[in-house]
Amino acid sequence: MEVKKLFLRKEFKLLTLLLISMLIASASAAVYYSLNMTSTITTATNDVYFIIGADASTAGVSIFNNNKSATLTSLKAYANMTMSYDNPIRVRNNNAGTSFNVRLRPVSRTGNAQYFVFINFTLQTSTKISLNYTSNGATWTDPSTTGWATVSPSTDYAIVVQTKANATAPSGQTASIEIAIDVQQ
Amino acid sequence: MADPAILPEFFALLSVDIFLLLSLLTCLLDDRLPKAVPYIYQIAALIGFGHLLVSKDFLLIFGDYMRFWYNFFLLIVALANIVAVNVYLAVEKKLWALAKAWAGAVTFPVTVISVFFVSNYSFLQGAEFPLLLLQIGLVVSAIVMGVSISLFLSPDLLSKFRRRKEVTQWK
Repeated sequence: MEVKKLFLRKEFKLLTLLLISMLIASASAAVYYSLNMTSTITTATNDVYFIIGADASTAGVSIFNNNKSATLTSLKAYANMTMSYDNPIRVRNNNAGTSFNVRLRPVSRTGNAQYFVFINFTLQTSTKISLNYTSNGATWTDPSTTGWATVSPSTDYAIVVQTKANATAPSGQTASIEIAIDVQQ
Repeated sequence: MADPAILPEFFALLSVDIFLLLSLLTCLLDDRLPKAVPYIYQIAALIGFGHLLVSKDFLLIFGDYMRFWYNFFLLIVALANIVAVNVYLAVEKKLWALAKAWAGAVTFPVTVISVFFVSNYSFLQGAEFPLLLLQIGLVVSAIVMGVSISLFLSPDLLSKFRRRKEVTQWK
């Protein structure tokens, strides 16, 4: 009986409501805070992209996907001769005020190792970074991802491609190499 | 567009707090109001909390505009309940002193706070709707809805009010 009276007392009701109110208010504030922390992501144009170099036609360069992808389909590797394409494609930092760090990363490679000696890609930044694919005549040695190099504002840099085929390589043998350029924002 | 300092869901949070405030105040006045009212307001606050919790998953589906309006509606309902209690105390219970105290201590401050946050939100959003119209609309909507809730809960309220007016005229 006494317990029932206690439950009916105004103080008890008020205390119960107050505790529940505090619980609801804090939980709601926590949910709102978590909403406030939700990130808003806006699409933007990339500052670093490919542009055509002076030797583009010789190397068969095509740039697509808003300058974010490129293919070089006419590169030649001559038997026992080093062929160098000095300016087939360039990497441009179009941002007028910010430098970015870039690196070269190997993605995939196909082609018979016995016909090639090396295929190199070098980005001509002040600190040069290269991906050197070498062959001992039997197997390829794939490079690992390069270190970071800086691309200055409103500047572009050539990617030099060097190739060399084996002395006994017949014509018509192909190798296909895919590399990526990572940009650090 | 500038990033808004407050999200539209802030109005839902404000509504939850208003319902909780109402719950506690009506509990204090439980001898003058129906016994169930504080608990109804607790349930309303819980519904607001549930709304906040669910709306978290629909942020991308509903745009800013839609989110603003459904949260704003919840705020209007909360404000209307404050006005409704005020009208109930004044007209149904004839507790003029208490009604005036309620108006000064609860209705007016809460309405001013709500108008402040809505104005702030609309200003930061680039005022897609006329600012003054929104503020007046908010106050008018809250009053109209409050009176409507009072009339809905006590249909004889209007006749009592008319009778008092006639008595005053005869005097």
